[in-house]
Amino acid sequence: MAELAAIRDGLGNNLATISGLRVAEEVIDNPQPPVAMIALSSIDYHTDMRFGAKYNFTVQVIVGRASERHAQRTLDLYVNPAGASSVKAGVESNRTLGGVVSDVVCESMPNVGAITLNDQTYLAADFLVAVYV
Amino acid sequence: MGKFVATGTTVTFNGSDISGAVARAELVINAAEVDVTDFGSSGWTEVIGGLKSGSVSLDFHHDYGTGGVSRTFQDLVGTIGTVTLIAANGTAASSATPKYTATVLVNSFTPIAGAVGDLATFSVTFPTTGAVTYATA
Repeated sequence: MAELAAIRDGLGNNLATISGLRVAEEVIDNPQPPVAMIALSSIDYHTDMRFGAKYNFTVQVIVGRASERHAQRTLDLYVNPAGASSVKAGVESNRTLGGVVSDVVCESMPNVGAITLNDQTYLAADFLVAVYV
Repeated sequence: MGKFVATGTTVTFNGSDISGAVARAELVINAAEVDVTDFGSSGWTEVIGGLKSGSVSLDFHHDYGTGGVSRTFQDLVGTIGTVTLIAANGTAASSATPKYTATVLVNSFTPIAGAVGDLATFSVTFPTTGAVTYATA
């Protein structure tokens, strides 16, 4: 049975394969972009007759000040479905998180836009990640 | 024990616990209807019970890992196996969690299934052969 901390570690390790992207395995108060923050959104229990579950994570990638053209161009690379900077490819770079879970899928990127953190406006994108244990 | 939500039906196949790969389990026991309607039936049909039969239906999550359920079934099509199911989320036979045992014919296996983005699953419905028994201890 996979522990949540081990799942976070595994997702963090996968995201760390993206060069230049900082990774926070929990939501932090003062993120320094570009950074990916891993947040547990929900858990679907009882996916089988024993301890099966689907963990739903949101990986929020904050790329920089919303007004910066560089931030927008960086985000363009992160949202690609493939490539060295692709968050989807990074999340799925080790589909079992080193043998901790059954499978990991980056399902979608439903939100992209400006967010406000510490009175600053940043450009960010949310990636929904499903982890099957 | 009263009503319950099915969250932990214990399922074994040929002695191996496969519950962790099962998302749905169903055992059906039937008796054939034998028509005995005659001129004395007062305009109604009459039936009696005939031969009994059964089936075991299971929904699985595909797993080809070591000991995975997909490996278990891939060489068994056409063979006879033994399925046990413990009702009411039980892990051992008792009066409140009866254990049913059925000998079944593995008549199908779907080694590849699933649309892109879906969890890979497969479903089977095995006919029983011989009696379906149950134990309460």
